Amino acid sequence: MSTQRLFNLPERLGGIFGSDRRHRLAAFLFVLPALVMLLAITIYPLIRTLQLAFVSLELSISPNEQYVGLDNFVRAFTDDPRFWNSMKNTAVLVFVGVGIQLVFGFVLALMANEMGRRRTVWVTLFMIPIMIAPVVAGFQFRVIFNDTFGPLNYLIEWASGGRITPPAWVADPGTSLLTIMITDIWQWTPFMLLIILAGLESISQEIEEAAQVDGASYWQLLWRIRVPLLLPVLIIGVLIRMMDTFKTFDLVFLLTGGGPGSSSETVAFYTYLNGFRFFSMGYTAVLALIQLVIIVIISQVFLKLQQRRGAI
Amino acid sequence: MTPHNKKVLRQIIIGIFLTLALVFFLFPVVWMFLTSFKTQGQIFASPPVLVPPSSQWNLDNYIAALFDSGALNGIRDSLIVSLSTAAISVGVGSLAAYSLARFRTGGEQFAFWILSTRMFPPVASAIPLFLIFRELGLLDTYWALIIANSIFNLPFAIWLIKGFIEDLPVELEESALIDGASVFGAFWRITLPLIGPGLVTSFLFTFVFAWNEFMFALLMTRRSVRPLTVIIQSLAGGHEILWAQIAAAGMLAIIPGTLLVIFLQRYIVRGLTMGALKN
Repeated sequence: MSTQRLFNLPERLGGIFGSDRRHRLAAFLFVLPALVMLLAITIYPLIRTLQLAFVSLELSISPNEQYVGLDNFVRAFTDDPRFWNSMKNTAVLVFVGVGIQLVFGFVLALMANEMGRRRTVWVTLFMIPIMIAPVVAGFQFRVIFNDTFGPLNYLIEWASGGRITPPAWVADPGTSLLTIMITDIWQWTPFMLLIILAGLESISQEIEEAAQVDGASYWQLLWRIRVPLLLPVLIIGVLIRMMDTFKTFDLVFLLTGGGPGSSSETVAFYTYLNGFRFFSMGYTAVLALIQLVIIVIISQVFLKLQQRRGAI
Repeated sequence: MTPHNKKVLRQIIIGIFLTLALVFFLFPVVWMFLTSFKTQGQIFASPPVLVPPSSQWNLDNYIAALFDSGALNGIRDSLIVSLSTAAISVGVGSLAAYSLARFRTGGEQFAFWILSTRMFPPVASAIPLFLIFRELGLLDTYWALIIANSIFNLPFAIWLIKGFIEDLPVELEESALIDGASVFGAFWRITLPLIGPGLVTSFLFTFVFAWNEFMFALLMTRRSVRPLTVIIQSLAGGHEILWAQIAAAGMLAIIPGTLLVIFLQRYIVRGLTMGALKN
């Protein structure tokens, strides 16, 4: 992987492809099934969500919709501290959590890069958390964080000789969100490690050696050469993680159930509560729309960067 | 100290740090593995039982999880959903990917629109999908999960396969088309056999994504279909939590993903970034 080839857009195709009308028709038929399927999760839900956003549809009370104008929007923006609390929690996971994943992943990748060929064993083992179902990861950490029989609190008490009283973790409103963040960091730091390591491997040895011959120190090499060359990799990694962390749902469900109180609710979890526990379809639609706008903003940044890189 | 010794020392120190980090990343899995062999009493013991006695290294908890707690049915349901999802995503995805890669159907904007649907938050379309599936009578059937998972994995499959097709030279297909082959013929006889690794990679990734999926599984099913993730969640939410059995079910649940990272290392970066990065 070289930084030029990083974003795999092909050169323009010419010649026989697309010159024949029958070919173009066939090519269109090839994308048709995918197009129909993708419209089913984008355009249709969007239209239905837009329509629902202006009605009151409380399925627990009655199956009838009632037009309420902007009431749902007004409620979300002015009269729902619980929603804004879930937004704040999500922002903490997206910025602090992913930030920590980036820093840890970067440091570990630099270390693994120093190990030469021997790194393969480490890297393989590091990858295991990535593909574990969040439900299972949530269960694992519920055991670890358990305040009566979990190994973590036992370790803290043992190491401090009983002087430190460890928190109740998932059962404590001050630490419940932290447990979700730690689990996410555990699961996704290896992803950052992996892609940054792939980026480091792609930096040509000649550039690094030339810098060393010129007397560059380790830190100069790092900040002047490696970080600038790695920037596209770092940006892609961070954006992918931000988009996925923004949707955090499974971990909340398994670890804390959003509690205690609403201390660890994420916006995806709060939306789920409104839709599938309180059955307020109209209000849920507004919450969905707000998330959609945020995701569109993040994904546009991602796509713009990828397009720009592809043009190089 | 000679430069060589210095380098060796440096590697040893870094190796120690990496090993310590690895302990952190593997501990939860190891602990779950150990838990899956404990008795309920040992789980609550203080100090914690690290390694269960050798007499307990048997499959009792696994058998109980499979047969008493419904993990076997969960595995069956997860397999049906994940295999179908992977087949549909790769089937529909490879056709679309071919068209995008070779004919630039819809132009670059269309390709990026497809990519952007991957970022669509599932919870935002959960209610409209739920309402459609209810009207069609698909709730609590395999179809609800297969359809939802296939659609959500499709952009991933398209982009990944598209990258693999773009890696191939176009000359072979070109000459086939000039010789009068149909587009489908060129795709079927020339391109598909050459992107075998790409198809396998995409199939396995979408399989594992569907296998690990939880939200749709939770919302779209009730009694007749219960994938493994839903079984694990419901066991962990019951009154008397059978930790060892859940741990056993969890160990079974992580098998596909673990095999994927071990055997598909070459393509893992490419897969996780939808082809944006290659290694």
